[in-house]
Amino acid sequence: MKFSLQQQIYFFTFSSCFLFVALVVSILWSTQVVELALKREEYANKVENHTNTLKHFILSENIYASNYNSDNWLALDNKFTQLLHLAPSLTPQLQTIQNSIESQNKNVLRLFNTITRNKLKNADDIIKKHLKVRLITQLEAILSDSIELSMIAEKDIKAIVKHQIIFIVSILALSLFILIFGAFKLIKIFRTSLKEVKSAFEKNHSGHFQRIQLSNQSEEFNSIANAFNAMNKKLSETTISLESMKKIVAERTSVLEKLSNTDPLTKVANRRALFERGNAEFSRVQRTKGRLAVILLDCDFFKNINDKYGHLFGDNILINLCKVCIGEIRNIDFFARYGGEEFIILLPDSELNGALETAKRIQRSLANNCITFEGKEVFSTVSIGICTVKEQHKNFEQLIKDADAAMYKAKMHGRNRIETVEEQLLH
Amino acid sequence: MNSKYSFASLITLLIIIGGGIFYFNLQHFWSQEKYSVTVAVSKTPLSTPFYVAKSINAFDDTCVKVEYIDVIGGLAAFEHVMNGKVDFGTSSDSVIAFKSLTAQSFVTHAMFVQSDNDVKLITRTADQVNSTIDLKGKKVGVTRGTASEYILSTLLAIEGLTVEDVFLHHYKPADLTKGFSLKEVDAIVPWEPFAFQALQLFKDKINVHDTKSLSTLSFNLISQRADSQLVEKAKCVIQGLHTAINYIASHPQESKQIVMDELDLAPEFIDWVWPDYIFKLGLNQSLILNIESQAVWAVETQMREYREVPNSAQFVDSRALLQVEPGAVNIPL
Repeated sequence: MKFSLQQQIYFFTFSSCFLFVALVVSILWSTQVVELALKREEYANKVENHTNTLKHFILSENIYASNYNSDNWLALDNKFTQLLHLAPSLTPQLQTIQNSIESQNKNVLRLFNTITRNKLKNADDIIKKHLKVRLITQLEAILSDSIELSMIAEKDIKAIVKHQIIFIVSILALSLFILIFGAFKLIKIFRTSLKEVKSAFEKNHSGHFQRIQLSNQSEEFNSIANAFNAMNKKLSETTISLESMKKIVAERTSVLEKLSNTDPLTKVANRRALFERGNAEFSRVQRTKGRLAVILLDCDFFKNINDKYGHLFGDNILINLCKVCIGEIRNIDFFARYGGEEFIILLPDSELNGALETAKRIQRSLANNCITFEGKEVFSTVSIGICTVKEQHKNFEQLIKDADAAMYKAKMHGRNRIETVEEQLLH
Repeated sequence: MNSKYSFASLITLLIIIGGGIFYFNLQHFWSQEKYSVTVAVSKTPLSTPFYVAKSINAFDDTCVKVEYIDVIGGLAAFEHVMNGKVDFGTSSDSVIAFKSLTAQSFVTHAMFVQSDNDVKLITRTADQVNSTIDLKGKKVGVTRGTASEYILSTLLAIEGLTVEDVFLHHYKPADLTKGFSLKEVDAIVPWEPFAFQALQLFKDKINVHDTKSLSTLSFNLISQRADSQLVEKAKCVIQGLHTAINYIASHPQESKQIVMDELDLAPEFIDWVWPDYIFKLGLNQSLILNIESQAVWAVETQMREYREVPNSAQFVDSRALLQVEPGAVNIPL
């Protein structure tokens, strides 16, 4: 069963009130009881005093004397009887003693009447003395009873006070316990719940959307947690679409970037990408005094192929050339279409010999990988110009220009060959 | 977790409260050595506290394991005590008064009941005995050395007569009614339940004379002169009686039923005697005076061979009762 904080506080308050009321009632009750016990004690004292007076009268006077007037004593005893009728309410134990006193008082009166009726004119002194002693004995018994009555009443007062103290101390201890327990419990609920809410807010702030899991259940904090969790859910949904949007944009951007740097026919890097990379590589070489070689390839008799087999086959020739070149270059090398049937390979950290080797591999591979046109093998060749970065080169364009010059030289010397730039031809 | 904490807290609270209760009632938990004691209990409703104590197991929490020996009359109980057959007995103050003259070493530990109307004078209606003076020359049945004899002599003395003015016939308590019905005597002075039996038997053919104010019969717990161990035992017996007497005060109907069942008595009889009974523990001056006055009376009337009346206080031992209910002891120490 779950209680709201409000209910718990109400319960806590009502319990304290109840205990307080119990305490007050108990104090009032004990006041009443002590008052009653005091009344009993007072009554017992009165009985004792009265009995003493009755006894004193019997002892001090000669009740057998002919001129003895019994009226005074009878009046006194009558008062005593009235006193007995005015007894406060008594416990069973006290009532037993009260019964004894009442009964013995009747006996005393009866005996007194027997004695004084005719002054025991037939009786001798022995019985007279005996009966007087008996009268005194009976009064003595009443006296003893009244003393006992008084002692019990006194004992009762002590017992009531003792019990009351125990009761009050117990109630106070219980109240204190409930107070401390309740206070600690409420503080714990407040502290832990607030901490959990705060921690959830902080995590939210740093972008980790987290549900509030309350370790102490209470209606009020549960409602806050529910509201927060609902808000969090919506927020996290919105945040997810933003992220995916970014992703899509990034993907698209990447595709667009790729498209803008790719030749649509051969799917290799285009002229723009070539210059972007070429400039970067050139700058690196300038900075690090490193090496960079450039191979420029031009498809031989490409116009004739186009004319003879059609532009579509010409395109296939170029695609095949790209495939061959890509297969022969290193991972770090960069292959791009320079324009028309011209292609350029950037070979970072490569000397002239390395570039020559690559160029030769490409020639061999191209010779081995011809394509067919209507079942007939069509061989294509390339004229290759190679140039490495030298001190004279001020920019990437000059490097290409020298490579182009070398390629031109290859064309001039009969095509399908490799030429390098001579020192004097350097730009 | 919370429920675990609450449970632990509750247990702690209960332990604290339990500890408190234990502390304030520590004495109840002290184990006591159990003594086996035998008590000669006179078969009369006056022994009600004993029957009730047995019925409600009032001796269970004391140091004694009590066994009762049923006897007829307080005199028989007294003799059982003096013969050493039992540890304790229940005897009337009259028995104590008469026996005090023979200077036997016995003591009274506590008075537990008193009745101011236990002994009655019964005469035949036909004899027209209206006053004690009419008993002169009649044959009267009494039980020697008991309240029966004491009451008769008192009644006679009030009218200036002595026991020598009547013909005394001594009977055992249970035989008084038989003697009366056989017309061996003209009057009897029986105590209860024999007075009631006579009334049931003869109905309106007899007169039950009023003797109410003349004697207070008390029943007392007696033993031989007690050493400290016997006082300890007496204390425990009195503790049981104390419990029983409080029970009687708060449960009179149940107590009556216990006595009726125990003694196989008719409800009419209990209703007849019950109003005269006052169940309470006591050792007071009036008991001593009562014993003394009866002893004096016995010496001066019938037992002239005993010239001296001993100090009755020596037959009272208040040590045990003082430990149980000091308020009930009201004698000069």
